[in-house]
Amino acid sequence: MTTAESSEAADRARRLQRVAELLAEAVTPQEVLDAILTEGVRAAEARAGAIGVLTQDGANVELLAQRGYDASAVTGWSSFPLEAKVPMSDVIRTGEPLFLTSVQERNKRYPMFSDRGQQNHALVVVPLAVEGRVFGAMSLSFDREIEFEPERREMKLTLARQAAQALARSRLYAAEQTLRERMTFLAEASELLASSLDYNHTLKQVAQLSVPGLADWCAIDMVGPNGEIERLGVAHEDPAKVRWAYELQDRYPPDPDAPTGVPQVLRTGKPEFFPELPQELLDEAIGDDEELRRIIDELGLKSTICVPLVARNRTLGALTLIAAETHPPYTEADLALAVELARRAAVAVDNARLYREAERGADAARALAYVADGVALIDTSGSVLHWNPAAASITGVAEEEALGRQVSEVVPAWDALTSHVPLVPPGGDARPVTVPIVLGGRERWVSVSGVDFGDGTVYALQDVTEEHALEKTRSDFVATASHELRTPLAAVYGAVRTLRRDDVELTDADRAQFLEMIESEATRLAKIVDQILLAGQLDADAVEFELVECDLEEVAAGVIDSAALHLPASISLDLSVDGAAPIRCDENKLRQVLVNLVDNAVKYSPEGGRVELRVRSENGSCLIEVADEGLGIPADERERIFEKFYRLDPQQTQGVGGSGLGLYICRELVERMNGRLRVESEPGKGSRFTVELPLRR
Amino acid sequence: MLVVDDERSIRLLCRVNLVASGIDVLEASDGREGLELARQERPDLVLLDVMMPELDGWTVARELAADERTRDIPIVFLTARADPADRRLGQQLGGVGYVVKPFDPVTIGDFVEGVLVRIERGERDELKRGISSEPDR
Repeated sequence: MTTAESSEAADRARRLQRVAELLAEAVTPQEVLDAILTEGVRAAEARAGAIGVLTQDGANVELLAQRGYDASAVTGWSSFPLEAKVPMSDVIRTGEPLFLTSVQERNKRYPMFSDRGQQNHALVVVPLAVEGRVFGAMSLSFDREIEFEPERREMKLTLARQAAQALARSRLYAAEQTLRERMTFLAEASELLASSLDYNHTLKQVAQLSVPGLADWCAIDMVGPNGEIERLGVAHEDPAKVRWAYELQDRYPPDPDAPTGVPQVLRTGKPEFFPELPQELLDEAIGDDEELRRIIDELGLKSTICVPLVARNRTLGALTLIAAETHPPYTEADLALAVELARRAAVAVDNARLYREAERGADAARALAYVADGVALIDTSGSVLHWNPAAASITGVAEEEALGRQVSEVVPAWDALTSHVPLVPPGGDARPVTVPIVLGGRERWVSVSGVDFGDGTVYALQDVTEEHALEKTRSDFVATASHELRTPLAAVYGAVRTLRRDDVELTDADRAQFLEMIESEATRLAKIVDQILLAGQLDADAVEFELVECDLEEVAAGVIDSAALHLPASISLDLSVDGAAPIRCDENKLRQVLVNLVDNAVKYSPEGGRVELRVRSENGSCLIEVADEGLGIPADERERIFEKFYRLDPQQTQGVGGSGLGLYICRELVERMNGRLRVESEPGKGSRFTVELPLRR
Repeated sequence: MLVVDDERSIRLLCRVNLVASGIDVLEASDGREGLELARQERPDLVLLDVMMPELDGWTVARELAADERTRDIPIVFLTARADPADRRLGQQLGGVGYVVKPFDPVTIGDFVEGVLVRIERGERDELKRGISSEPDR
């Protein structure tokens, strides 16, 4: 070896050493590429260099970086198939380095390059391999023809080995870094999603978290209750752009039938991924709208990922990531990350919704437990699914007895109860039907309505026994009252019709009788109407009582005086007062009661006799007795006389009967003045009615 | 003809107007007296009130129908009860007429005579059928 040669060799070693040092310091792939393509190319005394690597799928070679080549030489070569008959592909395929001394040799081997510039003379392409696996190649072009003797070849191969190791290491590091970032991002996103049940809020935060690291734009759309698309959130680093995006959304609402984008993803439940957004797609979306074209151009959309939010086979929404002004185009790894993020978001949304449903279910169960109406849920096979406490109380069948069993078994009367109930669909006008039924040995009136919701029927039951009895009483009252009115009306009408007959000569006695009949029956009518009105007011609790201290002796004396005015001669009427104590009562009402009792006493003493009104105090009460020596009341009728429209034999009353309401009204009035009205009687010997009122303390 | 009503005024109305139509009138002021008179006197027709104490009109009609001596006596109910259900009951108990109070006593004579004429003609069943839908007045 000559001195020049040895000095040259030492020089090469030094340069390689320098490259090795630089490569050792380089951390990121970009730093490694920079080191190789500056120091490495210079160390190899080459004019230009380029580095290509196999894509992940191994089908193509991607040119990572180059230095020194004319733009014209590399245009269209950013990526090319591994199968292509080009030096770099050949070297990566075979793993064998390629040393071409001259352009002639290159053109001979690769005729397709014949028309390329001649400034590159010698060409070296060496494989980049780690642990025997070729992952790329480095090309070095020289500006002269070079015969590559072994030392020179070895130097290029050494350089390639150093570059390969550094590049592989940095790529691994970058991948790890990316992975770590993604894991961190996913962890943060998961934490956000789990932080609250308000998924609207958390999803917006996730969108915010995605920019700018994962996307320039991130949008989340949800499927609304009626299948409509609802934009939940849009995120961009610049809030002004977010506002603008919302305006844009308002102006160009999504077409639910659109063949691409969010509508398509929501429809299919499949991700949509455009590493490079095809211009045709944009053109199609833009149509003839120049304004929209300007906007889209301004957005500078490069690459998009749209993934569905799917939980339990239902598409809840979609997550859209857009790479525009800063973010590099998306890769398969980005898609995988987006899919994972969407999966977690969907689970969070689904959980939140399930939780809310469960909460609502719990609220509903509480409401059903406390509602006064019976609620029974029966499935299509007739089995009891729900049986609330009110249903148990109405039917007399406990919840635990009913649940899961055939309703017609646990409640034998069920079919009778529900067979006439019209079942309506949900939201229909469920008209209740009132049915008499024997439940648990008791006769009840139950109001039932039913809604058929497809999977079964929900029945609402209401025990209206009391209301029904009240209603019956009311209608009976009206019917009876009208009967009571018809008889005196018939008398008045008939008397007038008869008096006006001109075909018959009436005797003076008959004529007088008819006139008297008109008068007395009209009076009776007025009295009945008054009493019906009063009874109705008492039933409706609409009678006002003015309880004041009153002079009982004076009231009693007044009653006696007025009764004496039209007393039959056969009756004697007496008043006896034995120490009247002061009481609180409504004086007019008490007078009304006493007048009625005295009238009755006279009326039911057809043979005459003594009627006595006695006032006395006893055991803190004031007792007012009305006693007669008349017909008396049979034992079995003594309570019935206080019922509405109940009357003792009226033919014994000498003519005009009453309304049948007198004693009913008397007892009601007395009881509402905190007193009691009772009767003692012996048939044939007379009766004694006693009003007992509390003494004023 | 027998009038059974516990209301004196109704009896008076019937009597005066029936007599004016040339009809002899017997009166009973309750169901029991009505039954007795019907059995003793066998009237051509009974004008029968329903709401009477002790023995009501329905019971009287049943008893009349159950007794061989009285079963053929036509019954015209004269009552304050206007419910369709009451009309049907009156029909079931064999009534040939159903007059609801208030009624026109002036025409009552013509009415009962018309009933008697139709019974004479053998239209008793038609009369019975008619009372559940016959207009009152």
